[in-house]
Amino acid sequence: MEHWFTDLFLAFTGWLVGLGLSPVLADAALLIIKWIIIVAIIILNIIILIWLERKISAFFQERLGPNRLGPFGAFQTIADALKLMTKEDIVPSAADKLIFKTAPMLFIVVSVLLYSVIPLGQDMQVLDLNVGILFFISIGSLSTIAILMAGWGSDNKWSLIGAFRSVAQMVSYAVPLAFSLLGVVMITGSLNLQDIVAAQDNVWFIVLQPIAFITYFISATAELNRGPFDMPEAEQELTGGAYTEYTGMRWALFFLAEYTNLVAVSALMATVFLGGWQGPWLPSWLWIIIKTYAVILVFFWIKWTFPRIRMDHLMSFSWKILVPVSLANILLTGAGIYFFQGMGWC
Amino acid sequence: MQGTGLLKGLGVTLKHFFQREITEQYPDVMPELPERYRGCLQYDFKKCIVCGICINTCPNDVLSMETEKVENSKKKRLLSYTIDFQYCMFCNLCVEACPASCLYFNQNFELSVYNRDDIRMVYLRPADMVDTEEAANDQAEDQQQDKEQKQINAMITALNKNPQKIVAKIIAGEEEVSILAELILRDEKIAAKIAELMVKDKEKAAKVAAGFVNKEKKNRQNSDPVPKGGE
Repeated sequence: MEHWFTDLFLAFTGWLVGLGLSPVLADAALLIIKWIIIVAIIILNIIILIWLERKISAFFQERLGPNRLGPFGAFQTIADALKLMTKEDIVPSAADKLIFKTAPMLFIVVSVLLYSVIPLGQDMQVLDLNVGILFFISIGSLSTIAILMAGWGSDNKWSLIGAFRSVAQMVSYAVPLAFSLLGVVMITGSLNLQDIVAAQDNVWFIVLQPIAFITYFISATAELNRGPFDMPEAEQELTGGAYTEYTGMRWALFFLAEYTNLVAVSALMATVFLGGWQGPWLPSWLWIIIKTYAVILVFFWIKWTFPRIRMDHLMSFSWKILVPVSLANILLTGAGIYFFQGMGWC
Repeated sequence: MQGTGLLKGLGVTLKHFFQREITEQYPDVMPELPERYRGCLQYDFKKCIVCGICINTCPNDVLSMETEKVENSKKKRLLSYTIDFQYCMFCNLCVEACPASCLYFNQNFELSVYNRDDIRMVYLRPADMVDTEEAANDQAEDQQQDKEQKQINAMITALNKNPQKIVAKIIAGEEEVSILAELILRDEKIAAKIAELMVKDKEKAAKVAAGFVNKEKKNRQNSDPVPKGGE
């Protein structure tokens, strides 16, 4: 069971080479197959996650959630997707049409790119980059631009305010996000995610870096624009933030991208702090799924517990608390590494 | 310490997560309504005494009635009673005011209809219905009769048991009393007549009783003059 997928890929490339294809082209074909699988995973995840979030938020509020279509309302998301596809595509006449139309595409592309470096199992990775974490952080920050494009292109005050908020928030929180990952990088001495997973053979980094885990969790919540940091699309104030003017599938792409980001950030958290695909008994790809979903459930739990915080509080929390704390954590980690190496313990 | 409030909040939501859902699956499962739920206003035509208090009480002119004059009488007769439910605000004033408690709210809350006119509920006079007042009078008479009959029966038994004592109330003189008592014991018809009259009209009873006594005296004089004369 462990090597199902890797064996399948090897057999596939072997088959292509056997057909007379050069190994380089066979690898390229395999890459395409991998991307298709990633997209399939993402879409499957969305269908599950939207249903799960509706169901879980309902349980938190002692409601039942969707329960009409299919077992436990499981087909509700599919029905919603069909509805969204049949909706009219409205582009505001005053909108900057090119920017307006590119924004959702850019957002989803950026979100999908995040998956390229996440190890989905032992030897299961689209790209084994040696700067995996750096790639993840930099690509993750790009989604800010997509939201800014959406807000600017819509030519709508709600959209623009939402986009501004989003940019301010994401830029502010990218700093503690990167800093909190730095502690882990210092311990492993590598930016490669497979190396980081391998380094957690004995003990997970959530034990060695608890402060980094908490700061990462908080800044990830803000990066994802999820409650209680969902100011950019605060329904009660901004009627939908940067997405106000979007309809049908364009809006659905934003929605899709948000959940894609959620899974990616949770998967990174599972990889960096919770031992990645490592775990007993079960195959590695199942472990990463279990851990990612556990993190996602905590995200849901937090979203449906806390009220939205104020914009200025949000900013001051990032710059006055999270950044100093994560910097102090780096200092502490460095001192610890120096101390342990001096003692000859590692 | 900072942050304990957040943990407390998470604890609250977690507790609710495992609690039972309070959603009512309404069209599938009907909700359990409280006993005094104000659903649809109902009207009982047969109980109504047509006092009109409900119509005067209603703040929204929901209620109205149609009456006709009864021939050869000052009385009116209720023809139809209308509840124009679209204006009802469920204040319950009419229900509280109704002395015959013929207005009441039931538990039906599914009040939507396809036509605006269907909201008005018109209660027409049932075909088999007699005048409420006549019926009431009849009933009263019946009751009165029942009551009298009972009294008479009681009187008859009392007379049979102890005639002298009761007869003494309507007739004077020891001889007369004893004669009447004898008569009552001997003849059931006389006993019944006396008893009935005593319940209904004591003066008449006294006269009749005196008549019976006189007749009996004459009968006795006529039937056995010899022994009397012989003495």
